[in-house]
Amino acid sequence: MNSLKTEIQLRHIAIIGNPNAGKTTLFNALTGMRQKVGNYPGVTVEKKEGRIIFEDGSEAVLLDLPGTYSLTANSPDEKIATDILLGRVDHTPLPELVVCVVDASNLERNLYLISQIIDNRLPAVVALNMFDVAERDGLKIDIQKLSAELGVKVIPTVGSKSLGIEELKAAIAGHVEPSSRSRQWILPAPVQEECDELKGLLQQMHRLSEPIAFHEAIVLLTSPSALSEHNDRFAPGLIEHVKRDHQKLDLLGIDRHSVVVESRYEWIKRVCSAATVSHRRRGMSASDKIDQILTHRVWGFVIFIGLMTIMFQSIFSWANVPMELLGDSFNWVGAQVYAMMPAGDLRDLIVNGAIGGVGAVVTFLPQIIFLFLFIGFLEDTGYMARAAFIMDRMMSKVGLHGKSFIPLLSSFACAIPGIMATRTIESRKDRLVTMLVAPLVSRSARLPVYALMIAAFIPRKTVLGIFSLPGLTLVAMYLLGLTAALSMAWVFKKTLLKSEAPAFIMELPPYKMPSFKSVLLHMWERSILFLKRAGTIILGVSIVLWFLATYPKLERASPSEQLNQSFAGRAGHLIEPIIKPLGFDWKIGIGLIGSILQREVFVSTMGTIYNIKDAKHERGNVSLREHLQQDVDPVSGVPTFTALTAICLMVYYVLAMQCMSTVAVVRRETNGWKWPLFQISYMTALAYSVTFIVYQIGLVLAEG
Amino acid sequence: MNSSHKTLSEIPVGRFVQIRELLSEPDVCHRLREMGFCENAIVRLVVNGEGNLICEVCNTRVGLNQSIAQDIIVASFE
Repeated sequence: MNSLKTEIQLRHIAIIGNPNAGKTTLFNALTGMRQKVGNYPGVTVEKKEGRIIFEDGSEAVLLDLPGTYSLTANSPDEKIATDILLGRVDHTPLPELVVCVVDASNLERNLYLISQIIDNRLPAVVALNMFDVAERDGLKIDIQKLSAELGVKVIPTVGSKSLGIEELKAAIAGHVEPSSRSRQWILPAPVQEECDELKGLLQQMHRLSEPIAFHEAIVLLTSPSALSEHNDRFAPGLIEHVKRDHQKLDLLGIDRHSVVVESRYEWIKRVCSAATVSHRRRGMSASDKIDQILTHRVWGFVIFIGLMTIMFQSIFSWANVPMELLGDSFNWVGAQVYAMMPAGDLRDLIVNGAIGGVGAVVTFLPQIIFLFLFIGFLEDTGYMARAAFIMDRMMSKVGLHGKSFIPLLSSFACAIPGIMATRTIESRKDRLVTMLVAPLVSRSARLPVYALMIAAFIPRKTVLGIFSLPGLTLVAMYLLGLTAALSMAWVFKKTLLKSEAPAFIMELPPYKMPSFKSVLLHMWERSILFLKRAGTIILGVSIVLWFLATYPKLERASPSEQLNQSFAGRAGHLIEPIIKPLGFDWKIGIGLIGSILQREVFVSTMGTIYNIKDAKHERGNVSLREHLQQDVDPVSGVPTFTALTAICLMVYYVLAMQCMSTVAVVRRETNGWKWPLFQISYMTALAYSVTFIVYQIGLVLAEG
Repeated sequence: MNSSHKTLSEIPVGRFVQIRELLSEPDVCHRLREMGFCENAIVRLVVNGEGNLICEVCNTRVGLNQSIAQDIIVASFE
């Protein structure tokens, strides 16, 4: 409670900047590890806050706002940044100070946002970031002149090398005033007149402060969709006034939509020519040449597929050793506890339920770590945006934006950040389509299921000299997910959520050496999240499952019969007729039911079930993989699992929803149950029918 | 349209040109302007593929699709 109390008294500082200006690196440098991530009430834009500690020991809350190009932007992410700086968000105080992160090598465009912040009379300090890159590019910036032109303090920084951080801290430690200069950019006279008049009306009718009224007046007069979007926020009389203003300006032949942007850029040009000297080389740079290859319509695609293949191959082969170590340690711990405790239900619960279940899932941590490591590197080098660029051609064929590909690619790691990443998509319908199909793209939670099945049933053969069959199977599963996602997107765009293919405009950040620190930090955060889930949901489900698989107790029954007659066994038998055509028996049925919450629970469930089943055996080094390989139907003697069952199970898991956290996130993002319920239904139907087809074809092929 | 004016998708890679006019839908134009593609801005084409192209404006690379590029009218600038 104490921390809550002090938080209210602390100064609130916001940090804002264009995408790719290095805002997050600076945020990390200023706050260290003292961060927490939450959500803004009502909307699901991630709210990232940190504590900044000054030299004198005093503290302040630093709020990381989403990257934006302007305060008149339209995606949900960008809107929240605007709303906070205008003091429109509940429970988030208007920041006392704004740290504006500016990419020094890209001063012109970055100053556009700064001019809006200065207009709003917010106390501001400019962090002129990536100063080294600008100098290397031959751009000399006169800090004093720039500071004088803007009327705010300007501190050169290099976030990636932690340069200028102390100076920046010192600059924001004390009291900061809004820009000392009045608005410098000039609107054409007729626009200025209308703007002043409207500003007066807004101040009068809506009791807005001068800078906010000016901001609203500009938006109402010049933003293309202002009237349709902000209609309900203003008095009807005022809206009528704005409509008359529009007519007047149109009659005068003024392009309302471009006039403000042009006026601002005129001013920015004056600032830049006063404060900078450019000796930029003209001609092809190294980045140009890289881009010509990496975004080539043939080579770019080949390289992309190649990178993905290498990624999944290495996830499979490199992670093997640490995985076996982890598995052995869990077995060892289980055996120790088994030996130490007296026989009884409690021992079974701890060894089979808790250690067996959680251990089965935690074993996959190394693969998850490698996956996030790769994705982190792809993002940090600047390649991810190129992947979106290459994929835009394919995405536009199914009616989506290349930007929709980034959420899909992050869904490789986890659908939740993937779904949250859809917030950068401006069109509501496209955003919804991306959300609906994102969980189809295989994510890390399915990896344990794939890994278990592949390791147990796909022979370790080498294909074409360099590829291993297990690795290729994994790639095939990921491609299946991607194909399904794109096909379903196409279907949705043609039927439920019809709209035109959106315009592709996307910034491609410069290529750079990845920062190991930020990649590792990201990997660390995600791994902790995975372990937390293992320690909470999976532990809970494992215990419940152990209970359901152990009771009601039978007298003198063999472990197999016991499992057969248990609650879980009965449930499995109950759904067996439904899943039989997919090649699944009742034990897999238990796994399917258990994993409705979370896919990786399937593995822990199998771990629990097979541990219970074999409880009478000596506890030894029999891994779950071997259990599955050796399991046969007690009546017919036919193996429960074959390569075909394994493939069917993987196909089912590629396509089925099976993740309650994703459902929860989709519900939050769409503000209702309609879309998540629709999503569960269509994905289950899709998973069932495709698995059915695969199994039946497989049976025919096996006979032939 | 002046005969020396072309669309952004027609100019050779590496050439510097100046934006004269944006013909897209108002909200697309607004987005383009805010990202630096305003009238009189200097642009250089970096990659011109079949589907999409990359150009440099204000020292930043931006990917665009052909239909937008065809709505950006430019004049040569050296």
